[in-house]
Amino acid sequence: MSSSPSSSQLELKIPLHVAYIKSLGENKDDLAYHLTAHLRINAIYWGLTALCVMDHKGALDREEVIGFVMSCWDEEVGAFGAHPRHDAHMLSTLSAIQILVTHDALDRMDVPRVVKFILSLHQQSGVFAGDAFGETDTRFTYCAVNALSLLGHLHELDVDRTVDYIVRCRNFDGGFGSGIGAESHAAQVFVCVAALAILDRLDVVDVQTLGWWLSERQLPNGGLNGRPEKLEDVCYSFWVLSALAIIEKISWIDADKLTAFILSAQDLEGGGIADRPGDMVDVFHTLFGVAGLSLLGYPGLVDLDPVYCMPVSIIEKRGLRKQWKALERRKS
Amino acid sequence: MHGIKRVHQSPEAAQVKKLRDQAKIQEYLALTDEILSRKKNQDWSVDAFRLTSRLLQINPEFYTVWNYRRNILILGIFPHSSLQDVNNFITDDLSMTTAALRSHPKVYWIWNHRRWCLENVPNGPGNKGENDYSEWKKGNWDKEIYVVEKILDADPRNFHAWNYRRYILASMPVSKPLNSELHYTARKIEANLSNFSAWHQRSKILAILWDGKELFSIKSKEDELELAKNAMYTDPDDQSVWVYHRLMRKGNNKILLEREVSAIQELLDEQPDSKWCMESIVHYTQLLLRNHASSVDSPALTSYCQSLLGRLQRLDPLRQHRYKELGVSK
Ligand SMILES: [Zn+2]
Repeated sequence: MSSSPSSSQLELKIPLHVAYIKSLGENKDDLAYHLTAHLRINAIYWGLTALCVMDHKGALDREEVIGFVMSCWDEEVGAFGAHPRHDAHMLSTLSAIQILVTHDALDRMDVPRVVKFILSLHQQSGVFAGDAFGETDTRFTYCAVNALSLLGHLHELDVDRTVDYIVRCRNFDGGFGSGIGAESHAAQVFVCVAALAILDRLDVVDVQTLGWWLSERQLPNGGLNGRPEKLEDVCYSFWVLSALAIIEKISWIDADKLTAFILSAQDLEGGGIADRPGDMVDVFHTLFGVAGLSLLGYPGLVDLDPVYCMPVSIIEKRGLRKQWKALERRKS
Repeated sequence: MHGIKRVHQSPEAAQVKKLRDQAKIQEYLALTDEILSRKKNQDWSVDAFRLTSRLLQINPEFYTVWNYRRNILILGIFPHSSLQDVNNFITDDLSMTTAALRSHPKVYWIWNHRRWCLENVPNGPGNKGENDYSEWKKGNWDKEIYVVEKILDADPRNFHAWNYRRYILASMPVSKPLNSELHYTARKIEANLSNFSAWHQRSKILAILWDGKELFSIKSKEDELELAKNAMYTDPDDQSVWVYHRLMRKGNNKILLEREVSAIQELLDEQPDSKWCMESIVHYTQLLLRNHASSVDSPALTSYCQSLLGRLQRLDPLRQHRYKELGVSK
């Protein structure tokens, strides 16, 4: 017997990953920790959601997490930055809201101001900007739609204008790009399809063509890539799978092989999941790895909502659940 | 984090790294603190501007510092500068981001800043109506095309660079003929058939040319199908080509569909295990069945599709459920 088990025998090392996520805040001796401060609030959302999926929500102290989120408030702009003293941005604002919703603590924040911030970034064309400097991307549209929905203010959004822009980002291959004319990319497909799901406008998706394009993302080693003729990467397990779940076509890829691929990207010593087997792990790929496994019905995991990328129970409690279909959870 | 190998560090090596990092961390945090404090105090000085250069060199992902830098320019520096100086500042920032992109070609914030720079190039030199009135703009935009081509030479699939390229082409003060962009995509495709980003760009440029009647679309589509066909014969396993073929072959015209099916059938006869040949034949045949049921031999075509789908299930088991579904749905 070789000392490293083959991937088919591997299982998800939940205690290791939980310990890894818990340890992330203790890396202050590491330069990389400080160089990634601009992603801190996102990292907390990724870590917390991964913990929820592994049923260890309590591993991060609730009050500490909420306190950190509130310390990222940008009083000048009226939204959240990624770190205390960093500027407010759409990306960090969505993470803040997702964390607060996960901890049922929305009452701590100034909801009307954040709603105003988000709506102020809606452009004439229908796309959203990330901040006042005006970079636009369908990622920001998803952030806005998701956040407004979680905050219960979706009725204030001009839905037709929003959908119109997304439709103009649709390509002949059924996928979506970051803007008009941009190449289809699995992460952009996720943000567009999930935004359309929240807006109840999946009718504009060409399910057969998109399902074809998404299913062709799977490579012989089981991993998924983000575009034709590119390498596989664990984070696409989520982008591709969630889009497939929303159009109810997860069966169009091989779940067992993808499961094995994700499991093979675990760091069996230090915990965490990497983009690919043998690479350095990070909390981003750790979340999207376990999120993918949850949608694939991996035993023992908590159900994840592919539209909001949050635990199903939380989304259901708010009455926000949309139509989608993950694989049934296996017993063992 | 992408593509960084996991290395096993001995406790001793980790200790050495920790000590080495310590000094760097202190310097970095001190610089960060100084900049964020100046920002809070609305310090729009040249000194502060220089500090942002230093920090962004270490960490080009620090978006708040890019924001601050732009605010210093807008609020502190430009109001007291001649247009020539404004142009110089912007040219300097473009050079700075060129260098940054060389080592960080996928950082959104660098691309953003570049775009902001370009949009703030002043008119001039000279006066409105004069010949050289937008000389600065022309000069900067021409340079951009060159820069973006360098980045696409290094990574022909970098989607930031392609998006930026589309933006540049659409916003040039003197627009470039779209035909030259068509040639550019042809060169990129020739260099590497798998470069779907180039095929994609080609499809978008063609759509514009067809819409504007600058190219006779029927003839041009034929040329593109021919190009795709040549590529298929070169590498029948390359997905990019087949996706492109499908983009070009949109539509339900019976004669054209039948022609494509028989052309691909020829290739399948040569390459009897080609998944993409079979998959495409099924796709186009099902379009024929759906749209021209009364004028084709439906039972024969249906049973041919079924046999191909059966083979596909064995040949491409990852997607066997899709093939099963295609066999039952109309
Ligand atoms: Zn990744």
